[in-house]
Amino acid sequence: MIKSYVKIAWRNLKKNKLYTFVNIIGLTVGIVSCILIGLYISQELSYDKFNVKADRIARVTMQYTNGSGDARSAAVTGTKVGPQLHRTFPAITAYTRTMQYTNLVSTENKVFNEPNFLYADSAFFTIFTFPLVKGDPATALAAPGQLVITEKMARKYFGTIDPIGKTLKVNNARDFTITGIAKDPPENSQIHFNCVASFSSTRVSREEIWWTANYVTYVLLARPQDLPAVQRQITAYMATDKIRRETSQDGQDRHLTFNLEPLTQVHLHSSLDGLEPNGNITYIYILGGIAILILIIACVNYINLATAQSQGRTGEISIRKVLGAQKGQLFRQYLGESTMLTFIALILATAISIQLLPLLNELTGKSLSAASLFKPLPIAALLLLGLLVSLLAGAYPASILSNIRLMSILRSGFRLSSSGGNLRKSLIVFQFVISVFLMISTMVILQQLSYIQNKKLGYDKEHVLVLPANEEIHNSYNAVKAAVKQIPQVVDAGGASGTPAYVEWTDGLTANTETGKKNFTIKAIPCDADFVRTLGMQIIAGANFNPADMHMLDTSDNEKNFRYTFMLNESAVKALGWTPEQAIGRTVTKGNPGIVRAVVKDFHFSSMHEAIGPLVLFQDTQWISRIYVKVSGQQLPATISRLQTVWKTYAPQYPFEYHFLDDDYNALYKTEVRTSQLFGTFAVTAILLACLGLFALAAFTTAQRTKEIGIRKILGASLTSLAGMLSKDFLKLVAIASLIAFPISWWAMSKWLDGFVYHITLSWWMFGAVIFLALLIALATVSFQTIRAGLANPVKSLRSE
Amino acid sequence: MIKISDLQKVYRTEEVETVALNHLSFEVKEGEFVSVMGPSGCGKSTLLNILGLLDDPDGGSFIFNGTEVAHFNERKRADLRKRNIGFVFQSFNLIDELTVFENVELPLIYLGVKGPERKQRVEAVLDKMQIMHRRNHYPQQLSGGQQQRVAVARAVVNNPKLILADEPTGNLDSSNGNEVMQLLTDLNEQGTTIIMVTHSEHDSRYSHRIIRMLDGQTVTENILV
Repeated sequence: MIKSYVKIAWRNLKKNKLYTFVNIIGLTVGIVSCILIGLYISQELSYDKFNVKADRIARVTMQYTNGSGDARSAAVTGTKVGPQLHRTFPAITAYTRTMQYTNLVSTENKVFNEPNFLYADSAFFTIFTFPLVKGDPATALAAPGQLVITEKMARKYFGTIDPIGKTLKVNNARDFTITGIAKDPPENSQIHFNCVASFSSTRVSREEIWWTANYVTYVLLARPQDLPAVQRQITAYMATDKIRRETSQDGQDRHLTFNLEPLTQVHLHSSLDGLEPNGNITYIYILGGIAILILIIACVNYINLATAQSQGRTGEISIRKVLGAQKGQLFRQYLGESTMLTFIALILATAISIQLLPLLNELTGKSLSAASLFKPLPIAALLLLGLLVSLLAGAYPASILSNIRLMSILRSGFRLSSSGGNLRKSLIVFQFVISVFLMISTMVILQQLSYIQNKKLGYDKEHVLVLPANEEIHNSYNAVKAAVKQIPQVVDAGGASGTPAYVEWTDGLTANTETGKKNFTIKAIPCDADFVRTLGMQIIAGANFNPADMHMLDTSDNEKNFRYTFMLNESAVKALGWTPEQAIGRTVTKGNPGIVRAVVKDFHFSSMHEAIGPLVLFQDTQWISRIYVKVSGQQLPATISRLQTVWKTYAPQYPFEYHFLDDDYNALYKTEVRTSQLFGTFAVTAILLACLGLFALAAFTTAQRTKEIGIRKILGASLTSLAGMLSKDFLKLVAIASLIAFPISWWAMSKWLDGFVYHITLSWWMFGAVIFLALLIALATVSFQTIRAGLANPVKSLRSE
Repeated sequence: MIKISDLQKVYRTEEVETVALNHLSFEVKEGEFVSVMGPSGCGKSTLLNILGLLDDPDGGSFIFNGTEVAHFNERKRADLRKRNIGFVFQSFNLIDELTVFENVELPLIYLGVKGPERKQRVEAVLDKMQIMHRRNHYPQQLSGGQQQRVAVARAVVNNPKLILADEPTGNLDSSNGNEVMQLLTDLNEQGTTIIMVTHSEHDSRYSHRIIRMLDGQTVTENILV
C-alpha cells in the first residue's frame, strides 16, 4: 500500500511540474530560514551552559544611588566585593574578579597587541569549565606574575615548543611565567580570553575597595538553590550600619547593594553588559517568530496549491473511492505526498543552509559551523520539523481531498467543485500581511539608521583616524603630535581618553551656585588642548584650552595648588542653572577644583538610545589613550604610511594600528544594523514566497477561467480589460492585507522607535510607499499569467473546454 | 440479489426541486443481466449511483444480498462496495498516473490482498482480457477499446457478485463495443450479475431483461430471454 502511495505521489509531483517547483522552492526556503534561525537561537540559548557548575555560578552586579539620587546598576564591582562576600557568606564557596584589557604581549622576536587579555583570581579555572591542556587549574593563577594562555596563543608565540615555564613580556614592562595552557574558550561563552594573568599581579589587587567599580565579579555557590537566600542575605548585609559607614552611605539617602545574576541568565536576560555585549531575548523571540511566519507562508503556498489542484484530482479520488478506498486511506495517501515533498525540501534545505552559514555568520557576528547541524539533537529537530511541516501543509488538503463527495460520478464523469476558495483567499491575505509587515518594519529601521548616520552629532566624525597612544608615545607626546601635524594631508591632531562616540568615564561634579551647592554625576573626557578643535566641536562661550594651563595640574605639596581647566557642555551648564556666558571663569570641582574655560555645544557622546547628559572635558594629557588625526581625505594610503613612519620612529616596540572614528560610532549601532539586515533578508524572503504562491495560484485561476476568457474575447474584450479583470481579484487581497498590516506595523515600529531618544517620526508616506510596492510586486506577479491568458487564441481555449 | 422498493431520491437546490427517483421498485436476481434504458434525465444515473452504494436514497428500501443497505454510513457502504461490486464506466475512468497493471491492482490493494497473490490475480485477469502485453503502459498510451478492457479487468479482478456498467460502449467504435459486450456476456455466463445502463438498443439485446424508465419510474419491463 505504502509503495503505491509513494509511487503515485512521485508521479503526481512529476506531472504537475509548476506546482511541484513552487512547493519545493517554497518549503525549502521556509525550512532554510528555520534551520538558520534555529541554529542562531540554539547558539544564543546555549550560552555559558557548557560550564559544569553553571547552575552554581552567579555574576555580581552593583546597584547604587548616584550623586543626583538616581538609581544605577552596573555589571562591574569594586575589588572588595568578591573577597568580602566570600568571607561573609559560607554559601559562597569561591569567587573570581575579572578584568579585560588589550595588552602588548611580546617574546624576544614576536610582538602583538592582544585583545581579550584577562586578569582573574586564582579560582577562575575551578569555577568555570575552561579545561587546561597543561597546568593545574587550582594553582595556575595562584601567585603574581603567572599566566595561562590558550592553545592558539601557544602556537602563535611558541610554535611547537612547550610554553610551560617560559615567559611573555606584557606592555614592555613585566614578565609573566606561563603556568597553564587552556583550550580556546567556546564561542557561546560570555568570557573570551587569549591570556589569563593572575589578578594578584595587578596593583589594584593590593587594596580592597567597595567603590571604583572596574571588575566583573563571579561567585560560586555551594548549591544552586542557595541563590535566593544568599541574595537576601547580601541585601540585608549591605544595609547594616557598619557597611553603610564603610561604603560612605551613612546619614545619606543613598544605597549600595549587590545582586546575583545566575550565569546562564546573563547573556540573554541581563541589561548590563559585562566582559562582552549581551544578546537580547527579545530578538530571540522576534527571530523565532519570523522563522515560524516564513515557514507558515511556505505551508500556505502548499495548502493553496494543493486545494486548488484538488479540483483536478477529483477523478482519481472518485475512482479510488468507487474501488473501495476508505477516507482514512485517502487521507494518508495525500499526507504521504506532502511528506514526500517536505522531505525533498528538507534535504535541499539542509544542503543550502550549510552553504549559507558563512552569510549567517556575517549577519550575526557568530561563527556557527555545519558540524553543529549533524548532532543527534539537531537531526532529531530537523526530522520533527519535517513531520510538522508535512502535517501543517498536508493535513488540510488531505482532508479536503479525502472528503470529496461521490456525486453523480457514474453518469456525468467528474464535476469540478471550487471548494476552498475563501480559505485560499484568506491565506493569501495572511501571507501578505506578514510580508507587508516585514517590509514596513525594514523600511522604518533603515530610515532610523539613515537618520542616525546623517544626524549632526555636534562633532565631525568623518576623515578622523584614531591611533592608540601607548607608553612610548606618551613619553614623546608633543614631539609625536608635532611630527604628525607636519604631514601634508593632516589637518589637525589632538588626544583624549576613550572615544567621543561613547564616553565611559563617569565622574562627580560639584559646584556652588546661586541656588546652593549642586552635585551630580557627569561624563568626563580628559583631553589635550587640540582635541576640541580637531573634532570640530563648537565652543559657544569662552575660549579653547591653553596648553600653558597644564602647569596648573600641580601635584606638589599634596595637590594644594592643583587646578583643572574645564569645558562644560550645554547640558552641564543648564544643570547648574547658568547660561553659557555665566559659567565662564567659575570654579567647579571634579575631585579637584578647576576653572570653567569654555562651554561646548551639546554633542552626542553616547548612542541615540540615550539623551545627551552633562559632560565635562578637562585638560590632562596623562590619561590620553588615543590620538585623533583629522585628515583631508585625499591620498589616504600615503598619509597612513607617513603616519606609520612617525609611529615607528617614536614607538618602535608597538605595532602600528589605526581605525577610523566612524567605526567607533558605527559600533554603537551594530545591533540595529544587524536587525535591519535580518529584517531585510526575511522581508525579501517572505515577499518572494508569497509571490511564488500568488504566481501559481494565478496560473491555476486563469486556467480555470479559460473558457470564460475565450467567450469574453470573442465578444470583444481587450487584453487590458481581461488582464485587469483577472488581476483585480488578487490585488484586492493584497490591498486588504496592507490595511491589516498597517496598524500592526505602526504599533510595533512605534514601540521600537521608543527605544531611541532621538528618532524619526513615522509618516504616512513610508507606509504608502511599501503598500504601493507590495501592490506593484503582486501585479507584476499575476500579470505574467493574466496577460498570457488574454493573449491566447480564444478558439483554442474554447475547444479545450 | 437486489430488491428495491419505493425508492426515492430528490435533488434540491435553492430554488428547484428535482425528483430523480419517484417511488421506484424492482428486483434483480442473482445471475441476471439487466439493461436499464430511458431518455436523459429519467433517473438512470441516480439509480446506478444508489445501486452502486455511491449515494444514498431519500426514502424507500434497498436490500442487497438480504441486507437492508439504504441507510448504511459511508464506511459501511465502502466496505460492502469493494467486496461485492465492480464498475465499468463510459469514460473508462482509469487513473492516468498508474499503469495498466497498477490500475487493475488497485481494488485488491484496498481489499488488503497480499502482494504475491495480487500479482497472480492481476496477471490472470489481464491474460483473460488479452491485455497482458500492455501491462506496463499508461492509459493514455492505449486505444479506447483497450482502455475499456482494462476497466473491465479492474471491475472483475476482485470477483464481484455484481457489475454495474454505465454506457460501457458509449465511447467505443462498434467493433470495440461488441468486444466489450462479449466480455460482459461471458462474465454473466460465469455467474456474475450485471446491471447496465445504456442508450443502445443493440447493446441491450445482450441482456436478459430491459427496464425502461421515465421520470424516475419504471414504465415497462421487457423480458428478452
